[in-house]
Amino acid sequence: MRAGFYPKLAWNGITKNKRFYLPYILTCVGMVSMFYIVSFLSTSPLLLYMPGSETVSSTLNLGSWVIGAFSLLFLFYTNSFLMKRRKKEFGLYNILGMGKWNIGRILFWETIITVLISFVCGAVFGIALSKLAELCLVNVIRGDVDFSLTVSSDALISTLTLFSVIFLLIFLNDIRQIKFTNPAELLRSENAGEKPPKANWFLGIVGVLLLGGAYYIAITIEDPVSALVLFFVAVLMVIVGTYLVFISGSVMFCRILQKRKKYYYKPNHFISVSSMVYRMKRNGAGLAPICILATMVLVMISSTASLYFGSESSFAIRYPRDFTINVNFMDIEDMNDENISSLRDSIGGVAEDNDASQTDVIEYRWASVSGLLDGNEMETDVSNVDFTIDMINDTTIVYFIPLSDYNRMMNKNETLGEDEVLVYTVRSSFDEDNFIIKQGNSFEKIYNVKNKLSDFTISGDAAMGFYPSVYIVVPDFASAVAPLSELLDYNGNEMVSLRWFYGFNTDVPTEKHAEMETEIFTAIGNVAEDIESAHGFSCESREEESVSYYSTFGGLFFLGALLSVVFIFAAVLIIYYKQTSEGYEDQARFEIMQKVGMTKKEIRKSINSQLLTVFFLPLIFSAMHLAFSFPIIRKILLLFNLNDVFLFAVTTVICFICFALLYTFVYRITSNSYYAIVSGQKRRRNQ
Amino acid sequence: MSILEVNGLKKTYTTRFGGNKVEALKNVNFSVEEGEYVAIMGESGSGKTTLLNILAALDRPTGGKVILDGMDLSKIKESAVSAFRRDNLGFVFQEFNLLDTFSLEDNIYLPLVLAGKSYGEMHLKLDPIARELGIADLLKKYPYEVSGGQKQRAAVARAIITDPKLILADEPTGALDSKSTDELLRLFSHINEKGQTILMVTHSVKAASHAGRILFIKDGEVFHQIYRGDLSDSQLYQKISDTLTMIQTGGDER
Repeated sequence: MRAGFYPKLAWNGITKNKRFYLPYILTCVGMVSMFYIVSFLSTSPLLLYMPGSETVSSTLNLGSWVIGAFSLLFLFYTNSFLMKRRKKEFGLYNILGMGKWNIGRILFWETIITVLISFVCGAVFGIALSKLAELCLVNVIRGDVDFSLTVSSDALISTLTLFSVIFLLIFLNDIRQIKFTNPAELLRSENAGEKPPKANWFLGIVGVLLLGGAYYIAITIEDPVSALVLFFVAVLMVIVGTYLVFISGSVMFCRILQKRKKYYYKPNHFISVSSMVYRMKRNGAGLAPICILATMVLVMISSTASLYFGSESSFAIRYPRDFTINVNFMDIEDMNDENISSLRDSIGGVAEDNDASQTDVIEYRWASVSGLLDGNEMETDVSNVDFTIDMINDTTIVYFIPLSDYNRMMNKNETLGEDEVLVYTVRSSFDEDNFIIKQGNSFEKIYNVKNKLSDFTISGDAAMGFYPSVYIVVPDFASAVAPLSELLDYNGNEMVSLRWFYGFNTDVPTEKHAEMETEIFTAIGNVAEDIESAHGFSCESREEESVSYYSTFGGLFFLGALLSVVFIFAAVLIIYYKQTSEGYEDQARFEIMQKVGMTKKEIRKSINSQLLTVFFLPLIFSAMHLAFSFPIIRKILLLFNLNDVFLFAVTTVICFICFALLYTFVYRITSNSYYAIVSGQKRRRNQ
Repeated sequence: MSILEVNGLKKTYTTRFGGNKVEALKNVNFSVEEGEYVAIMGESGSGKTTLLNILAALDRPTGGKVILDGMDLSKIKESAVSAFRRDNLGFVFQEFNLLDTFSLEDNIYLPLVLAGKSYGEMHLKLDPIARELGIADLLKKYPYEVSGGQKQRAAVARAIITDPKLILADEPTGALDSKSTDELLRLFSHINEKGQTILMVTHSVKAASHAGRILFIKDGEVFHQIYRGDLSDSQLYQKISDTLTMIQTGGDER
């Protein structure tokens, strides 16, 4: 036979069946490029510019393997549709005298063509999109990032290897199917009735157990970082569990519905439930990935969005004024009025030189010490307690603030007796009569609480932490704080930190802020030089800080959004493929129903109720996954200094709603195309 | 009174790219009395299937009228056609048209479920029919598990369970072996004896020889018809064969 005969036949086979081949190849291209993008990003040097780059990188790495596993399952599933259609043609070849060996060669060439198209298009798309992503990322990070944008050969190689293996497996499976069926069966296979799936109780129950186990881990896991392995195990359990539940659990569920005759024999339920039994088993492979992808999208976008928006609100607290100045002291004696006013004057001098007004001035001194708070006792030496990550919530920072500074800042006129204090708490509650700071048995100091304050504007570093804080307003700063210098940490250093905070707004145009920042910094430096224990100082311009502050979380948010887009794209692809391929399959079925006396309206209704269930099941499951992953993600976010549960919850809910809307939109479009295919029966009949 | 009247029925197909017109039905006239068993015979391309599709309200005629039990099919609104079909017609197809997602029982229930009947009512109806058709033991099975003859019997059960005014059968024996064909034809005769009107399109002489009257269609017109009268099945068979030979050899009319 002529050379090129088989490739030609294969090419013919593909173009003649493009109705089925096109979505299949599209899916392959999509999967290839998606896998490339994710594995590319997981090794991208850009990640180093982000907070928690290791977590991000390992998560992406895991993500890429998850996508690999999906690709395998999903391509097998899409290919099975294709083969069902092609078998008839192969049967015909077989009957016309072509051996199975020859058919194998056609299949081989068809696979080669598919693989080539998928690899070339997939790589081109993947590289183009990942470059685009990288460029955007550089832009977001506002990096004067200095490295060239390259194609990652590692990612490319692993993509090609993985998909070569997948395509090889698919090819072998096709060959197996051809080999073990006789020509007559091949001819008829398209019309062959299909066995109704049996409800597999074992697998269904295993699936439910796996999900339950994973949920249990998610809820009880204490430290997601040290228990990273356990965390990944939970992720895997969720994936496998979801898969099993979709395949078997859903069939079980439909079978139970069928047993309830009153429910089952209703026009709306009759057809939907019975065809869903079929749908579910085959579509577990399609629906489970949709569900997992949806969950991944939701987790990523809600956590990164929380970080981003959380940073915005904490930014306002961290930098309450256009300029904020901090000076650290070692010795409480040096925080006297004389030193403080010379610091203040030096700032005033710079402001005057620049014709800058000073408005909304905040100024106060504070001293802080941290420890574990239990009732009214705070233990400052952690080694006296068994520390676990959960105790992060008990770790408390105490800030001492002079009464005079308090009164001035808040415009109050409080008075205090010698041993009395006022207390204000953030992220914690305190209702005791006195407050005790201790260190083992070696140190103890008691403060008598006169009153609890209901309102206190704090800002700057003191407000930044995510730890619960107690603010103690003391009548005499020096005498209240001095004894605390006895507190030592395990390195033998003093635990108390002392600081003077000064902040103000100004009318100087923002372009000049950077310059003024430097001037203030120098001026303060000159004064601080003469104060013996002033060992560190800073001047921060809100304008300047905002750039780097946002870029870090902005980059993370962008990455989350980007991956979400990629995953949503994959999910849409799966949905589209399901709809079209099943449309062609259901065509005959609905034709019969119409002959038997179903109106178009009834058909439409039945389609809707089926699609609705089939489509929203993944959404419901992903909502469930998301809910159970909430605690674990919250703990991860804690590591990023985000402790605002409310913000996270709201963001998650908003993300879910947006996703649900998008999902509904996709569902609407694809269900229309499905309906168009299913009801395009007349044309087919007359052909 | 006639249960079905067909007057001056015409159907012209236009090929997809305009231009050529094909006349599938030129001028078809006949009527069917209640309780009759009529077979329509004709070669491939004679317009049998077109006629059946129009009778089934699956297709609309270009001209002429179909009146079923006093109702003009062309006057029924598009939206009501399906319900009409469901309530008045029963179908038996060559390729059975059972849904493989349903057990035989559920397949038979389908039209009743669509009509909103309760399970209890459907079950009561099915019981005698299933026994009569000899499929009582097969009800829980799925189409792929049973033979062609059994599938066709289930399809017949589905057709008669709604007590239709007319059963339309399109080559019902076309996909069956001879034993199953005999069984099915016996079944048709049996339900016809019980008063069911049947209109069957076929080109099997054997199938037609069970009918009470045979219409021959040629080139879109009713060309000839013969009545059974007192003839036995085999005598009628002979007469049909003769007629077909005559038609094919282009003999004189009548």
